[in-house]
This record gives sequence, C-alpha cells and structure tokens, in this order.
Amino acid sequence: MLPFSYTLRSLFVRRSSTLLTVFGIGATVAVVSGVLALRQGFTTMFSDSGRDDIAVFLRPGSTNEGDSRFRRQLGDQLMKSLPEIAKDAEGRPLAGMECYLAILREKTSGGKTNVAIRGIQPRGFAVHGKAVRVVEGERFKPGSDEIIVAKKLAARIRDCRLGDVLVLNTTPLKVVGIFESDGPYGSEIWGDLDRVLAALNIDNPNRVVAKMRSGTDVPALAKRLKKHKVYPARVLTERAYLQSQTAGLSVTLLVLGVMLAVIMGLAAVFTATNTMLAAISSRTHEIGILLATGFRPVPVFLSFLFEALLLGLLGGAVGCLMALPLNGLETGAMNFNTFTEAAFAFRVTPGVLTTAVLFALVLGLVGGAFPAWRAARMRPVEALRRA
Amino acid sequence: MGPMSRLVGRQLTRHPIRSVLTVGSLTVAIFLLCLLRSLVTTLEAGVDAADSRRLWVMSSVSLFADLPLNYQRKIEQVEGVANTCKWQWFGGYYQDRSNWFAQFACDEKRLLEMWPELEIIEGNADDFLRNKTACVIGEGLARQFGWKVGDRVPLIGALFPRSDYSVWEFDIAAIYRPKKATLDEQTMFFHWDYFAETQRASEGRDPNVGVYALEMHDPAAASSIMATIDSMFENGPMRVRTTTEAEFTRQFVEMVGNVPRLVAWIGTGVLLAILLAVINTMLMAGREQIREIGILKALGFTDGTSARVLLGQSLFLCGIGGGLGIGVAKLTEGFIARSIARMFPGYHVVGSTVALAAVVTIILGVLAGLVPAWNASRLRPVEALRRS
Amino acid sequence: MIRLENVTRVYRRGGEKLTVLDGLSLDMEGGKFYALMGPSGSGKTTMLNLVGGLDRPDSGHVAVAGEDVGALEGAALSQWRADNVGFVFQGFNLIPVLTALENVMLPLSLTPLSRAERRKHAEFALELVGMSDRLSHRPQQLSGGQEQRVAIARAIATDPGIILADEPTGDLDRDSADQVLGLLERLNKEFQKTILMVTHDPAAAERAQRIVNLDKGRLADDPREGA
Repeated sequence: MLPFSYTLRSLFVRRSSTLLTVFGIGATVAVVSGVLALRQGFTTMFSDSGRDDIAVFLRPGSTNEGDSRFRRQLGDQLMKSLPEIAKDAEGRPLAGMECYLAILREKTSGGKTNVAIRGIQPRGFAVHGKAVRVVEGERFKPGSDEIIVAKKLAARIRDCRLGDVLVLNTTPLKVVGIFESDGPYGSEIWGDLDRVLAALNIDNPNRVVAKMRSGTDVPALAKRLKKHKVYPARVLTERAYLQSQTAGLSVTLLVLGVMLAVIMGLAAVFTATNTMLAAISSRTHEIGILLATGFRPVPVFLSFLFEALLLGLLGGAVGCLMALPLNGLETGAMNFNTFTEAAFAFRVTPGVLTTAVLFALVLGLVGGAFPAWRAARMRPVEALRRA
Repeated sequence: MGPMSRLVGRQLTRHPIRSVLTVGSLTVAIFLLCLLRSLVTTLEAGVDAADSRRLWVMSSVSLFADLPLNYQRKIEQVEGVANTCKWQWFGGYYQDRSNWFAQFACDEKRLLEMWPELEIIEGNADDFLRNKTACVIGEGLARQFGWKVGDRVPLIGALFPRSDYSVWEFDIAAIYRPKKATLDEQTMFFHWDYFAETQRASEGRDPNVGVYALEMHDPAAASSIMATIDSMFENGPMRVRTTTEAEFTRQFVEMVGNVPRLVAWIGTGVLLAILLAVINTMLMAGREQIREIGILKALGFTDGTSARVLLGQSLFLCGIGGGLGIGVAKLTEGFIARSIARMFPGYHVVGSTVALAAVVTIILGVLAGLVPAWNASRLRPVEALRRS
Repeated sequence: MIRLENVTRVYRRGGEKLTVLDGLSLDMEGGKFYALMGPSGSGKTTMLNLVGGLDRPDSGHVAVAGEDVGALEGAALSQWRADNVGFVFQGFNLIPVLTALENVMLPLSLTPLSRAERRKHAEFALELVGMSDRLSHRPQQLSGGQEQRVAIARAIATDPGIILADEPTGDLDRDSADQVLGLLERLNKEFQKTILMVTHDPAAAERAQRIVNLDKGRLADDPREGA
C-alpha cells in the first residue's frame, strides 16, 4: 500500500482544484442535508408527541380531522358506552369531542396564513394531560368566549398575545392564557367547543379523543367500531394518528431530497472525476515511476481511490458545516394534510449528518473509480515516456 | 470559423472525457434549474391568467368554512353583478385515496356561461346540462384514468358520504380543454342539484356553499362591489371576503407553502456547486495551456486575444451544457407534466424560464472563464515558455 | 540593424539578484546570420528575448531597425512582434491541437490578409521548408526535425525581417539539425532575413556568418568577421 502522506500531499499540491471540488461536493451535500433536516424537524415534531394511551375517533373513511365530521349525539353515545375509555374520579369518561378548523389569520409580519383553532370540551384538558401546559395566564372557563394560544403563535399572529381580543367571524374571543406543547398542538388556538362551533356557524365537531384504560387493545377496538351499527368510527392511537399526518409533506420532502441527491450528485461525481483525471494526468510520470519500481496496479488503484474518498469526506465535512447553522432554525411549512402552517425547527440530527457524509463518500467513490482504474492500467514505459 | 474559435474548439476536444463530464454536469444543473423554476411558474400561472371580470366571495374566517345557501340571492342583487356561480369542493376519490383529484359541485349552466375558457373538445354541453348525474372532466383526467365520454365513474365521497356510505356515480358527458391557466385539466365539475339532493337525503338539509364566483358587468366597479358584499354580511352568520380572481388564486398558491423560497434556496446551492465545477475545469485547462498562451503571445497575439481563447472555451462549454439542459427540460416537459399533474397541473417550461436559464448559463461561462483568462492575459511569454 | 545599448537585465529569484545581462552593448547588421554562443547562464536567451520584445531590459535600450523595442507596450508591442519577428524554439512550441497548416496560418490571422491568401502564404512557407506533404498532420504525428521545419515555416509565414532561433537544433539528431541549419542559411541568403541563433553547438555556429560570444552577461570577444 502507498503511504497515506502521499495521498495527503498530492491533495495539498493541487489545493485550488482540491478546494473547488471539496466545496462543490460540499454545496451538494449541504442542499441535500438541508432538505433532510427540514423533513426530520417536521416528522420529529409529529411522531414524538403522540401518545399511545389516547385514542382518536374519526368518521369512517376520513384521514384527518379536517375531513372528519362527527355527529354530536353519536359522539356522546360513543363516549358514554365504550367500556375501554378510562373514567375520572367522579366516574365520568375521560373523553371529549373536539372541533378543528384552519382559520385565516393575519401574520404580524404581514400577509395571511392558516392557523388551526381547536374547540374542546371541559374534560379535554384532563385527556391531553401534560401535553398542553399553560405557561402564562390561565385556562379558558368552560362555556366562555375565552381562548388560550400556543406560545409559538403569540408573537407571529396578530391579536394572539395575552389580553388581546381575537375576532372569530362575528364573535370576539379574549386571550386568557398562553400554552406550550411539543407537538402540533403547539401551533394551535384552543377554546371551548360549543363557543367555537357557534362562532364558526358549524353544527358538528370533527373528532372524539379519549384516554383509554391501560391495556386496551386499540386495533381490536378499531376493528369492532369499523362497521358499528350505531356509531361507526375509525379509531387509532394519537401517536399513529399524528404519524399519519406527516406522510404527505414527509414523502414530498423525501422525494425532493432523493431527486436533488441524484441530480446534483451526478454533477458532483462528474466534478470529482475531472479532478481525479487531472490529478492523474499531471502525475503520469510519478505513476510511471511507481509502477516501474515494482508497485502492483492494485495498490496504485487503491491509492487513487482513497484520494477520491478523502475528497468526498472533506466535501461531506464542508457540507455538514454549511448545513449545521440551519439546526434549530424555526420555519413554517404547510402541512398538506390539514392545510395549516405548522411551526417547527430544522433538525440536523446525527442521522442526517451520517447520511450526508455517507452520501459524500459515495460521490467520491463513484467519481474516483474510473480515474483510479485508468491510473492502475497505465503501462510503466508509456507513462514514463509521455511525461 | 476563425483560427481563434478553431483553437477554442480543438482545446476542448483535447480532453474529451473532461469536456463531456463538465458539459454533463452543466446539463444536469441547468435542467434542474429549469425544472425548479417551472414548478414555481406553474403554480403561479393561474394568478397571471386571472380574469379581471370575475370576483370570488369566500368566508373571511377560513378557506374551509362554508357560506350559507341564501347568500347567492343577496349577492345577485348587488348592482353591477351580472352572474353568480356556486362552487363546493367535493373532496372525493376514485377507488383509492391515492387516486385523488379535484371535483367541484357547481351551478352547471352558469359555469359554462362564466368560464368561456372551458372548451369542450369531446361530448357536448347539452348532454352535460340535461342529465343530472352528468359531469365534465379535464382532458388530463381523461388521459390519466383512460375515461371516455359515456363512462360512468364511481367516486367515494370522503367529505360528503352518502347516507349508506355507498359510492357516488357520475356520467361523463363531456371532456374539456382549458384555454387559459385559470382552469387546470385535472378537474371534474358536476351538477349542484345532484349534490344538494344527495346531501338532503343523508343530512336532512341543504348543503352549504364553499365559495361563490361572480361576474361583473364592468371590471371597473370591482372595488365598490367587493366593499358592498363584504359589508352586507358583516353581521353574520358568516363574514365574507370578496377578492379579485388573482388574489383568490394567489392564496391557494401560498397555501402550498413557501415553494418559491425553498426553490430559490436550492437553486443557489445548485448554481454554487456547478460554478465551482466549471471553474475547476477551466483552471485545469488554463494550467495546461500556459505554454500555448506563451506561444500565442510570442507570435504577436495580444493579451486580450490570449484571454479570449480561455474565456471562449468556458463560454463554449457552458453554452453547450446550458443548451442541452434547456433542451432536456423542454423535451421532458410532457413526461414531467404527466407525472406531476396532480400536484402541479399544467406544468410548463415558459419562455422566461428558458431566457433565465440562458442568461445564467452565460454568466456561469463568463465567471468560470474569468480567472484563467485573467491569468492568461497577465502571463509573461518568457515565463510561459520556460514552464514546460 | 539591431543595436543593444548598455543593456542590463536582472532576475530576482528568492530574494537573490541574478544579473543576466550586465551593461551589454552590441551592434548587429541587418541581413546577416549571427550565432550567439556562450556557457549556460551567460545571457544568450535573455538577449534573444529582449530583441524579440518578449522581455524588457532593466536599463539601457534595445533598438531594432530604429524602433526602441523596450519602450513599446501592450498591443503595440504585440503588433510589432507580429510584423517584425519570427521565433523558432528548441522545443518547437507548436500548438499540439492544431495541424501543421493551421499552426503556420495562426500568425497570419494577425494580418489583414483574406483567408484564402493566408492559406496560400502558409502553404508557400511549408513548401519552402519541404513540408508540403504534411499539411494536415498534428505535431505529435511528426518527427522532431519535421516539427522544427513547421516551426520555421510559422516563423517566416508573415515575412518578418528577423528570425530569432533559440537552440533550434538542440533536440534534433545530426541529419535533422543539418536540414534546419541549411534552411536558416537559405532564408538568410535568398530572402535576406536577419537571423539570430542561440546555440551550444560549435558545428552549428560554424554555419553562421558571425559569432557573438557571451560570458556572464558581457561580450567575451568581438564578433569575428565572417565570410
């Protein structure tokens, strides 16, 4: 095997070419990992926040709350009669109906965006438990024209600070509390179910949520309720529900990421190949000497391949450095499933970085293979003469 | 062909692999730029094509909140309003949820009156109007599902299920081709009455209306009509916002999220990567040609001519790569349009995208050629000849 | 008529000063064949480059046919070179991607001649050097002697008054060298070209009319009166 210093030195000797290639690969890696970090941030927010002991009941055939509509009487009946639903200290079911709508609000920075408003019944807070924490002010009083607003929205959306009055259709609603939540609830406005429905001129809620007794087999329940005569419903755990909500955007971003990786990667491979070909052509004489002094073609091949891998690795490192500042950057992206804007942060996780570096190594490997093969196949006599 | 351009051409064929790879990466990058920008222009095409004679009335609360049925009569009484049309998003799908496309229940007769750009190319309007379960579909849909005039199409009403959860059935009476980007070719329109009757049967009351479109006698009256309608429903039951068609379309574009910004961000990365690649190639070429540049100068060629030999190579490479990229973008237009018809109906590489790509190509060529050309022009022939 | 007046040329290499020409004064007659001789580093090539306008003296003057070459700059210098000087190098210095004919036509593109005329001139020059049968060969398809003959054709294509040859036979075998020297002699005799040839080879120098010996940047002796 040729010494490592040989490879390092030759990269250094052609430093302008090396730098350009490294930054070219770096830009490619940065773009791809940026898209992956966006996707990571989005999916993490949804999938990490759902709970397994909460069940979500939707109308059969609907995939999300926006599509779903639950008739009130049926919702009441369902909550009262399902034995799997946990009870509170007074023996009432720990469950509630909820309505959900993407409403058009003005941003403080100008322009409009869709924000989700959710109406819940009095026991809704008990169902969601610690997932929703009021950090300023207090909870709204049942039956009142009061609302609480997610902390992330308070600054971004107009009329959403503590004490503000938000006019929904014709109804003024007073902001009495600010809450925090790690999941998608963290970008919502919450109020009393009946008051929100009345303000929106809508009759029926969208879904039922319920805390389940421990050990409840949700899939079995889902099967039972699928064709139920009185209250047919689609049942899934909150975690499963939230995960299913990420599918649209997540798949889109993944497809975008893969498409960019392939197309931009192709360009990066071409560049790496060019760089390595130039390296080999300017070192024809050296290669001739190496081969003439008895080095076998395989170590020569490996040495150049290794040099290309090193180029890729450096490019990967540069790409990661370029992508890292994105970490934690808050952004809003439209969730195609609900058409509401969800606020979340880019997450440059170790997984994203590993993918980025592996991608860069593949670029180097593919780009270096042909030139290395060409170098190894040189005939020493010719190589020496050509120089 | 002058001797200089011949020299440029010959230098490029000296390292065929390198030239091909550089052109290849340029092709790929320019193609990607065209593709990305076309996604944006496709999204925005509807905004540009908007008809100034039409206004839209929607809930001011939410894009998804409905309007009462009796609003139509009140809107029609506003002075300057010539015609109105109910639209309701049906949100159904064919067989499987992945076969999703847009369907609207509309006032069928008024639809044809108010949208002259809906050009029927198969079947006829009379059949569509006569039969209550008739629908008219875009030619993109017809192509995607292989539907023909006379076919009966079963749809699952995800938002508006029938009382027994059975499928809705529609008879294809006509196929249309949009003459303007205000409509896309992936949509289905059907009778309001069919929709309303079925809903009455399952819900026990008339359905609400998603949005109202209205046509004005005179577009100049738009702002007063918008103000009149908005104030008319100030006290509920549902407040409305009346907008121009351009504004109405724009909010759906924005709903898809920050696509333009994402595209700009990715495009910058692509350009940066490709610029570095071409500079790399040109620096290599410049290094190799030092001696030849020295010869040219010794022969009496000026510094400028020597620089142009390298700049010419850069421009030539970029020209070919960019040209191919634009060509590929144009050639694949139909294929891409078909494969992303659902999310980006009417995908089209517009002239301004081609022009932009051409300008970007030339800028790339100049930038990449600049450094080696500058080096060449400053090169002292004695030194150049000594380095061999 | 070439006149060097108290010409000094100093190179700086790594902070070290290297005086290559040290107050050299020399007159050379037009239409004569000169050989420049001297050990390595005596300033032969530097002197040639100064006469050809490829290099510039640090002090003193270089005048060719009355023109102060050292005072010319930029495009004017380039044009002067194109009009008055033809170079022949030891390493031939043909452009590898161009054919023999194209190489010879290259300097002609600096003249106002039409394309057809350029081609005629180039073909004539190649005929003169005996390379008419190799017009469309690339340099790597030619032998060293053939390459040098093409290079000479290129140097005379624009009909300059002066031909500057830097070790033109240095890389050639005896026979090829003889051919090249014969050509230079012929150019001098038949076409009255002034020829300055740097060489190490005494046998080559014998073919010149005058020999200039340089040593450490100065004249080693006076030019010998030749035949």
